[in-house]
Amino acid sequence: MRTIWAPIILIVLFATPMIHLAFAAETPGEYVNRGQEIWNLFFRMMTVAFVVGGVIAGTIVWQVWRFRESNPNAKPTPYEDKGDL
Amino acid sequence: MGHSNWPEWIYVAVVIALLVYVGAEAWNIENIIEHVPEDAEIIKVTAQQWFWTFEHEDGTKEIGELHLKKDHAYKFEIHSKDVNHNFNIPEFVVLMDAVPGRINTVWFSPNESGEFDIQCREYCGLIHYNMRAKLFVEGS
Repeated sequence: MRTIWAPIILIVLFATPMIHLAFAAETPGEYVNRGQEIWNLFFRMMTVAFVVGGVIAGTIVWQVWRFRESNPNAKPTPYEDKGDL
Repeated sequence: MGHSNWPEWIYVAVVIALLVYVGAEAWNIENIIEHVPEDAEIIKVTAQQWFWTFEHEDGTKEIGELHLKKDHAYKFEIHSKDVNHNFNIPEFVVLMDAVPGRINTVWFSPNESGEFDIQCREYCGLIHYNMRAKLFVEGS
């Protein structure tokens, strides 16, 4: 049961405020500056894209460094340990 | 397995939160942009190889140039007489397809006066490169 609650709590904590933030940001009005709105959206989306890219690239670098054969902390998998490979 | 998997749940939650944010934000901005003001003047835009024709609400027609007032809202009703074109005013980020047999709409309000380019943004034949018009925005 605990595994069901974890994502629900996380979604409530993170996703719901995000939705609220997105909708509370601006209300439909008259004479909006279309160019400004579109470019600002583009910059926000680019920020998200670069953050995601950075996290993925960082995770890959960390994995390669952490699980390299020469790392003193590296432990063989059970298969390698038995000499099955 | 018995091992802790909370980092995976955090990862899943972050991915979901980002997707929700991206979707909600894009939807929100699209709604804001598509909301046409009630007092917007309607301008009929006709695209054909290879020039633009504009018809104001009072029946005035312009060919190859368009005169608008600063800080007024304008709704364009765009259609094409022959092939697909695309009505584009780069300075004001206005971009809408002109398709034969249907009317597409887009609106904007020029917030600066001056002379700006209108161009076709969809390849429409031999002289597509020169299918241009001038937008003159006059002070309010």
